[in-house]
Amino acid sequence: MKNTTVFKLQNISVEFEKHSLNQRSLREAIGSRLKGNRSEKTKALNNISLTIKKGDHIGIIGRNGAGKSTLLKVLTKVIFPTNGNIIRDETQHVIPLLELGIGFQADLSGRENCYLSGILMGYSKKEISDKMNDIIAFSELEEFIDEPVKNYSSGMYARLAFAIATDINPQVLIVDEVFGVGDEFFMRKCIIRMQKLMAKGVTTIFVAHNLDFLVTQCERLIWLEKGEVMMDGNPAELASAYRNSKSSLRLVNVQ
Amino acid sequence: MYIDHFLHTPSIRFAWQYAKSQLRTKYRYTALGFLWNFLEPALYLVILSLVFSVVNRMNINDYAVFLFSALVPWRYFEKVVNTILESIVNGEWLIKKMYVSPFAFPLNRLIISSFEFLFSMISAFILFIFLKENWSIHLIVLPISIIPWAFLAAGIGLIGAVLYTFFRDVKPLVQLLLTLTFFTSPILFKPDIFETGTIQQQLMQLHPFTYLAALFQKPIYMASWPTANEWIISFGFGIAALILGIYLVNKYKSKFYYYL
Repeated sequence: MKNTTVFKLQNISVEFEKHSLNQRSLREAIGSRLKGNRSEKTKALNNISLTIKKGDHIGIIGRNGAGKSTLLKVLTKVIFPTNGNIIRDETQHVIPLLELGIGFQADLSGRENCYLSGILMGYSKKEISDKMNDIIAFSELEEFIDEPVKNYSSGMYARLAFAIATDINPQVLIVDEVFGVGDEFFMRKCIIRMQKLMAKGVTTIFVAHNLDFLVTQCERLIWLEKGEVMMDGNPAELASAYRNSKSSLRLVNVQ
Repeated sequence: MYIDHFLHTPSIRFAWQYAKSQLRTKYRYTALGFLWNFLEPALYLVILSLVFSVVNRMNINDYAVFLFSALVPWRYFEKVVNTILESIVNGEWLIKKMYVSPFAFPLNRLIISSFEFLFSMISAFILFIFLKENWSIHLIVLPISIIPWAFLAAGIGLIGAVLYTFFRDVKPLVQLLLTLTFFTSPILFKPDIFETGTIQQQLMQLHPFTYLAALFQKPIYMASWPTANEWIISFGFGIAALILGIYLVNKYKSKFYYYL
């Protein structure tokens, strides 16, 4: 089982038009077509090839704007790449945690949002109601679950969102720097839950700026720089190379 | 790929669940709550029929029944086109963060508008109790009469949604076309105001809404069955628009993210 491929990316590129704001009107579009203007393009991802196997625990690092979030959005089907090919194992249940509480509606209660959010993650109503008690227990919202989420504190909101994503039956978890929301206690609770899932064989892909966390949790790190893979491999080696590149950058700045 | 996006089960479930919660919360904080769903269309219809019966100097009861019969589906049509047109752009908060089928939000709008149509139809029939004398068996076709309206509206809405995603200035254009269609169609006025053989009468024969309106006017107002021609033309337009709409969304869906 272990060696089945979950994602296979072949020469993936994602391009954004730099001035697409202006082109959203018919008038502008016709105008620029007539003038022959071609807008400039930036490559958020440039020719990336990767294979992610079942049970892998992968950390993705890189500076702001390196293309980490874009990569996660390609994996979760949110972005169709401009070029390249992606092969997915469609039998795997992919849970994206790119942000806590995507799809939450302020006016709806915590319970109603559980259903809405769970359905978006691909679960059936029955699967959600079977796990409702666990979700409420983990998020510690016993008295508040039927209150509208607009009255929740940010911690309550984050706990509920994290509980829905991890409590039902994730097979692939794609996590984008979401542990920073709650307090220390919540963070620890999340990490323990993640470790349990990882031990169970859930494929996990993390984006995080906390390098120590990634080195201890992951078996493989991927370093992105300007949309390209700089390094891909052993966490300890990669982390020291990444740190060195950062300190050399700092030196340049000082001079 | 085609089927995968169209029948993506979680997206259909989401469209339905989200519609239910939106309908539930719409009037949650109002005193009359759920009743507004019936009162709002009823008040609209009463005011409109009062105004037009004065302008047209017709028998108010008779005119009101004629007017409501096709106006209620027209209001549905307009609502569906307008809300589906905006649905993909307005769904940005989700579409840019999590995968949903590009049809999820249009379907959601269609479901909500269909419920509102049902409420308006019920309100209209409550008014008909006071206005209408010739009740007949022909009313049983009404659930089928709305289908080509829904297809046509969803199809045009989807075409509009694709255009609107790329060109935000199509909205007033669509608005203009809707107004033009409405005032040239035999919904406000009876088609028999034109004599046979006149240009106006011949133009009316070319207007798709002459046929779509008949699917409601005949059973409700004239107590008769719509003709085979009226069914075929209405369904023809509806299915053609829907297929074109689905085709366009599928063709351009991969570009939506970059323009939202």
